[in-house]
Amino acid sequence: MDGLGTASGPVLVCGEVRTCLLPTRDAVDERAAVELLRLRADERVRVSRHPNRHAVSPDVLTGVDCRLPTATGARSRAVGTVTARAALTEGRVLQATAYFSAPAAGPDRRQPWGYYLVRPGTLVPVGRLPGKALTEGFLTGHQPGELDIGSVADSLLARISRQHRILDHDTPLTTADTSLRWTAAAAADGEETSLRFTKAEDGLRIVELRLPPGTAPTAAAELCEDLALHDWLLTTVADKLDGLRVGSEDGRAVLKVLRPLVDHLLHLWMPQARVDGALHTAWRELERTPGYSRQWNALAQRIRDQLVLQNLGVPRQALPAR
Amino acid sequence: MNRSAAVFRETSAEPRTESVPFSHLSLELGHLYMEDFVEGPARLRRHFAAVRPWVDAARAGLGPLGTGRRPRISTCFLIDDYFSRLSTPAELIPPLLAAAADAGLTIDYLARESGCAVADPAHRDRAELAESVLHRLVESPPPGSNGFRPPVSRTGWLTNGRRAPARRTSAALDSTGTVWQPPSETGARGHSVFMDVELWNGPDDDRTWSCAFLASVWQLVRLGLLRDNGRAVLTPTPFDDQEFPAEWDALPPVLRLNPQAAPFTAYVTCSVLPARFLPVEHAVRVILDQVHVEAEALAQIAERSAAEGFAVPAGVVDRTSYVFPPGL
Repeated sequence: MDGLGTASGPVLVCGEVRTCLLPTRDAVDERAAVELLRLRADERVRVSRHPNRHAVSPDVLTGVDCRLPTATGARSRAVGTVTARAALTEGRVLQATAYFSAPAAGPDRRQPWGYYLVRPGTLVPVGRLPGKALTEGFLTGHQPGELDIGSVADSLLARISRQHRILDHDTPLTTADTSLRWTAAAAADGEETSLRFTKAEDGLRIVELRLPPGTAPTAAAELCEDLALHDWLLTTVADKLDGLRVGSEDGRAVLKVLRPLVDHLLHLWMPQARVDGALHTAWRELERTPGYSRQWNALAQRIRDQLVLQNLGVPRQALPAR
Repeated sequence: MNRSAAVFRETSAEPRTESVPFSHLSLELGHLYMEDFVEGPARLRRHFAAVRPWVDAARAGLGPLGTGRRPRISTCFLIDDYFSRLSTPAELIPPLLAAAADAGLTIDYLARESGCAVADPAHRDRAELAESVLHRLVESPPPGSNGFRPPVSRTGWLTNGRRAPARRTSAALDSTGTVWQPPSETGARGHSVFMDVELWNGPDDDRTWSCAFLASVWQLVRLGLLRDNGRAVLTPTPFDDQEFPAEWDALPPVLRLNPQAAPFTAYVTCSVLPARFLPVEHAVRVILDQVHVEAEALAQIAERSAAEGFAVPAGVVDRTSYVFPPGL
């Protein structure tokens, strides 16, 4: 597939990332990670060991022929395939992404299926693509009968989670899953790369991206997986520390909360580990406002300080009251 | 994206796809059941005599290439040793080659159908080809499919459209006048020719692959579109002037019998087959239309054929062609 906004490439890339804790007590090693993500016998699981351990499954395609979600309610049909892939970071955080690219226009009627299979991950509109209405409609959420790529990501997560021989479904901490729904269009001439991040309710995140023309759809998906991973980490740790009763007499309650965070999550913060260099601007904006790394560092420091205090074993009551 | 400036790379993170050599055309000189072989040499001679003129026609149809060079054409023959084994390679193959030679035909490559089903004995670590292709099926979605459907691997059947809805009551009991709904072919021209193809039967851990499914694998192998973890599969083994063994499993899955042969894998294929195989080959086309092959394998072919000025259809199924001659 050619790059975003190029003559032969897509005008829009849309996707959804599901992020969750791998349902198992301990993080899995590389061998188990490869086994979990081996969705096809004849295609390798891609494993990267630097700057952290990261395994990515082969892409799997799902054929669709349905109406696209549009903000205006305009009826627009598209045919093609949605790409889905799963990724495992440090054998601990599991993500499934489903995404598709869409060109500005397509043939006026459905083509033989082989036409779509040589354009993997592309949804070809029947006629013209309602670009703006689709962006809005997609980010708002689909209506019944319209394209539902969340369920494509969900079924991939379910398929991986069903491997009970590797997964014991006994997680060391309870966490909430998140969904990050995103769209990426090419930035206009002279326009900066930009990102609009909305944290909605019920674990939903909405990201609207404008990326440099020529950006590969995969690179956009990787950026969004990276955003989703770090947003999930920050949300999970911040929620655990919210209302933590550090003043209680018994330090064990505090330890019970802090310990799993140290064991399983604190080492995972590594923004832009695999994000295409041209897309770093998007992350920089998020660092400026609200300042994700700043918040993470503060939280991590707080956890460490609390653990030091717990270790000193000084009962709070022994300290002079001010 | 320009990644050439990267100074750090990990081979485990960047999959490689091995390239294979290509002829312009892979020409299949017929297909026979084991029972046909049992009928004796006269039956085989009749077969190749009927095939011969159509082989010449297929060669002539390709013509000289734009560059004035002669096209590279390789011939092949697939022996069914998967569904029945009535004879041994030592008994069966020499008369077959002799009958082909009598008609003035050379079998460049000889393949065993089992090679499309089970793992290559020389590479036991590799996946079964049929299993790999099964995982590459992406079902053609009937209109209205919005991302949720049971995967094909659970049913073992593949269609070219939408099945008729299951009925709760038998026709005899149904006096309420419930309207029967027909199946439909996706993208039909006016009227449907609906097909439902059985890909395998038997238990999950001991499947018997269907003839149609193995024939699809065979087409993909000839088209050079399959890989195992990036490596080429069923690479022909040179087999010059050797004795044929008494066991089928002792024979490599694809043999190169003619040392001067053009490459086994080709941009396009043509199969000269008896008309009784027409339903099977219709099924093959339904299957091939729904196989998602590796993008890198397709890209290599596109690049190489373009450099030669040879037009290769974009769709996989369009790269195959058939002749069903009279009297075969």
